[in-house]
Amino acid sequence: MKPSHSKFAQDPHAPLLSIEGLEVSFRTAEGTVNAVRGISLDLQPGEVLGIVGESGSGKSVTAMATMGLLPRSASVRGSVRFRGEELLHRNERQLMPFRGKAISMIFQDPMTSLNPVYSVGWQIVEAILAHQDLSKEEALKIAIELLRKVGIPNPEDRVGNYPHEFSGGMRQRVVIAIAIANNPEVILADEPTTALDVTVQAQVLEALRAALSSTHAALLLITHDLGVIAGIANRVLVMYAGRPVEIGTVDEIFYDPSMPYTLGLLGSLPRVDTDGTERLRPIPGSPPSMIGEPVGCPFAPRCPLAADICRESEPPLRSVGSVDTGHLAACHFAEDARIRGASLFAATSSDIDATRGAGGVAPPESGLSFGHGPDEARAPGPGNYVIAEGFSPAGPGGYETAPDAQETSGDPVLPPDETEIP
Amino acid sequence: MSLPAGFTATDRAGEPLLEVTDLVKHFPVRGGKVFRHTIGEVHAVCGVSFSIGTGETLGLVGESGCGKSTTARSILQLVEPTSGSVRFEGKELTTLSPSEMRGVRRELQVVFQDPYASLDPKIPVGETIAEPLKVHGMWRGNDGNQRVAEVLRQVGLSPSHAGRFPNEFSGGQRQRIGIARALIMEPHLLVLDEPVSALDVSIQAGVVNLLEDLQEQLGLAYLFVAHDLSVVRHISDRVAVMYLGKIVEMGSRQQIYGQPAHPYTQALLSAVPVPDPRIERERKRIVLPGDVPSPIDPPSGCRFRTRCWKAQDICVTQEPRLDPFDEHHTVACHFAAADREVLSFSPTRRGSSD
Ligand SMILES: Nc1ncnc2c1ncn2[C@@H]1O[C@H](COP(=O)(O)OP(=O)(O)OP(=O)(O)O)[C@@H](O)[C@H]1O
Ligand SMILES: Nc1ncnc2c1ncn2[C@@H]1O[C@H](COP(=O)(O)OP(=O)(O)O)[C@@H](O)[C@H]1O
Ligand code: SF4
Ligand code: SF4
Ligand SMILES: [Mg+2]
Ligand SMILES: [Mg+2]
Repeated sequence: MKPSHSKFAQDPHAPLLSIEGLEVSFRTAEGTVNAVRGISLDLQPGEVLGIVGESGSGKSVTAMATMGLLPRSASVRGSVRFRGEELLHRNERQLMPFRGKAISMIFQDPMTSLNPVYSVGWQIVEAILAHQDLSKEEALKIAIELLRKVGIPNPEDRVGNYPHEFSGGMRQRVVIAIAIANNPEVILADEPTTALDVTVQAQVLEALRAALSSTHAALLLITHDLGVIAGIANRVLVMYAGRPVEIGTVDEIFYDPSMPYTLGLLGSLPRVDTDGTERLRPIPGSPPSMIGEPVGCPFAPRCPLAADICRESEPPLRSVGSVDTGHLAACHFAEDARIRGASLFAATSSDIDATRGAGGVAPPESGLSFGHGPDEARAPGPGNYVIAEGFSPAGPGGYETAPDAQETSGDPVLPPDETEIP
Repeated sequence: MSLPAGFTATDRAGEPLLEVTDLVKHFPVRGGKVFRHTIGEVHAVCGVSFSIGTGETLGLVGESGCGKSTTARSILQLVEPTSGSVRFEGKELTTLSPSEMRGVRRELQVVFQDPYASLDPKIPVGETIAEPLKVHGMWRGNDGNQRVAEVLRQVGLSPSHAGRFPNEFSGGQRQRIGIARALIMEPHLLVLDEPVSALDVSIQAGVVNLLEDLQEQLGLAYLFVAHDLSVVRHISDRVAVMYLGKIVEMGSRQQIYGQPAHPYTQALLSAVPVPDPRIERERKRIVLPGDVPSPIDPPSGCRFRTRCWKAQDICVTQEPRLDPFDEHHTVACHFAAADREVLSFSPTRRGSSD
């Protein structure tokens, strides 16, 4: 069932997925939002690359650009190649052979990918038939096996159910089943477990691991949860203000972080496995607005190591340490940061903006403003802006209760009868 | 934070600050194609009892829909409990009239999850913070303004922020404003419903530290409702674990995280990812089968039995009571047994001090 690679294999030595100098900006009433300001990465076959970063740092936009899912208002530069073939600036029809087959995508909200009026089985069958020449009966058999693989109990009985008859965790597992239906070589997952409870997250991650081992697909996993990354990623890319600021193996990032933002992120986490007597070390201030071009290091307003040079020039990604291991950090003082470790940040409870007496206004010389970017001003929650129609935003918020409509009130939306499983 | 292990609410004073007994809240489920009528009940909270002492933090954890917020809202009388008792500072709240309840709200304040939704975008934050004073007829111009400045300082913001509008603040700052508004009445108990869940971790940490500082300075007690077990371990003195409307285990922080005795607590803790790759690679995880059953028709006997690997016949027929297991440690399971291994890894130091 493995797809013949020949179809895409223009250059056998090229990485599976290669992003080079990707830049994405949006024109908005407030000004140009530079959401992604130059990201390059290679994804090797079978690899799990984690992308972490605060909300608004450009993670989702990177994924959307890769899949050609950005709205027209986006201007995209750079290159995204799958096995050497350029994916950017293709139209929908030209992207068809890649989507779902070469690369498939999993979003935070499973209902982004599921249609409420069709049974889950029908939706998996449809995905299979889009790329494989099979009869409906054969496809249905595969659909049942896929549901079993992602941990849906009694898949024979559940295949005719509609999405509303499944819990959130089960829906996300159906989405994973659809994502692997055509043995993709790359799976792009944007916060796939963020909306789920921990025990359900454990089930879904298990399903994802099973999916990876059966397809040997590479995974680009976007999440803000460093625990999830620690458990599944081989390599990690840390984003800040639209750029990678550190990249390395998972051990390099967790045990030898060298960019102050990475250090701050790790130091600010409470851990479930240590007794909570040690004070947390927050990163003061808040992320910058993405409007306009920053001058200098975008982390400078929050960085304890910031010096004049930081406010003048933005540091490029450079190799960390004396041996080139592929561990890169974007910081003028990466070696200092690396030595200082977690103690770089103070265990404070106050807010840097306040201590400056200027809520959310950065020093003018940095050319940045933080704390009140247009996305925040406009949106009801962190990361809640509108992306392309049909795609819901994938911010980290959203754990609130929303009593389950199906269970507690009203008539469930009854799907039309003719949408029976074929 | 400074309380010894195994401390319970009643050790300190004769009567705890808050005492909840057999709290029940059912919501009617309406349905029917033509005429809407009640077709069942959501058993959101089913006989929950706990207490909170002065200056203490009780963490209330559990997965989505298990009844944490409903418990919190019932305590605040924002929803009317179906039955049970809520005593706060010796007063029974469930029988108070709305105006009597208003008096109690001075000492019993609440902070919700969403720092965006809970602030009116058209009103300067200073006015939002002052509103409780005005509602209680305690606003005295100059003094009031000074009090607003004081609470702004207490939550780590600047008094000069009072004239600004919510959209000029970041998420963390907005949550601080919500806390300032709760503090202005000098409450004794804060009910915090997922107060940091919407914030990025680097910002969440500052708000957690702030809550700790405020507790120490002002002697506040907290009911800290959250699904994030790491934050709850960090901030709580005692912890109650809920499943399908019931508390299944309750004890000191050290007991719940160090020797959990209920299978559900064990599974929950074992599912929390740890930001430490070496630990994650090696640890064994309990992955529960299936999903949480519907609270409209909860399972007979033990509500956890449909997912429990230890379930026996008795679990179907007989509901386990929340019984003492160890000193100040109660567990609702016929086969309770402490597991000290769930979270006992030797944590690798993070940072370069490795
Ligand atoms: N107003 C209501 N009407 C009907 N059912 C409700 C109502 N409020 C809550 N419920 C139901 O009661 C149960 C408990 O909900 P509650 O909001 O207390 O859960 P929670 O533990 O706070 O969950 P979360 O972690 O998602 O916030 C759920 O099944 C929910 O759907
Ligand atoms: N369609 C859009 N129009 C304008 N700005 C956008 C759009 N989509 C995303 N952005 C902005 O781009 C930045 C990066 O967003 P995103 O990639 O979604 O962040 P995250 O890292 O949280 O996934 C944010 O400042 C966001 O507000
Ligand atoms: S370049 Fe300067 S401001 Fe930026 S992270 Fe490094 S030390 Fe901090
Ligand atoms: S009472 Fe039975 S089913 Fe319930 S938790 Fe204990 S062993 Fe499991
Ligand atoms: Mg996102
Ligand atoms: Mg809730």
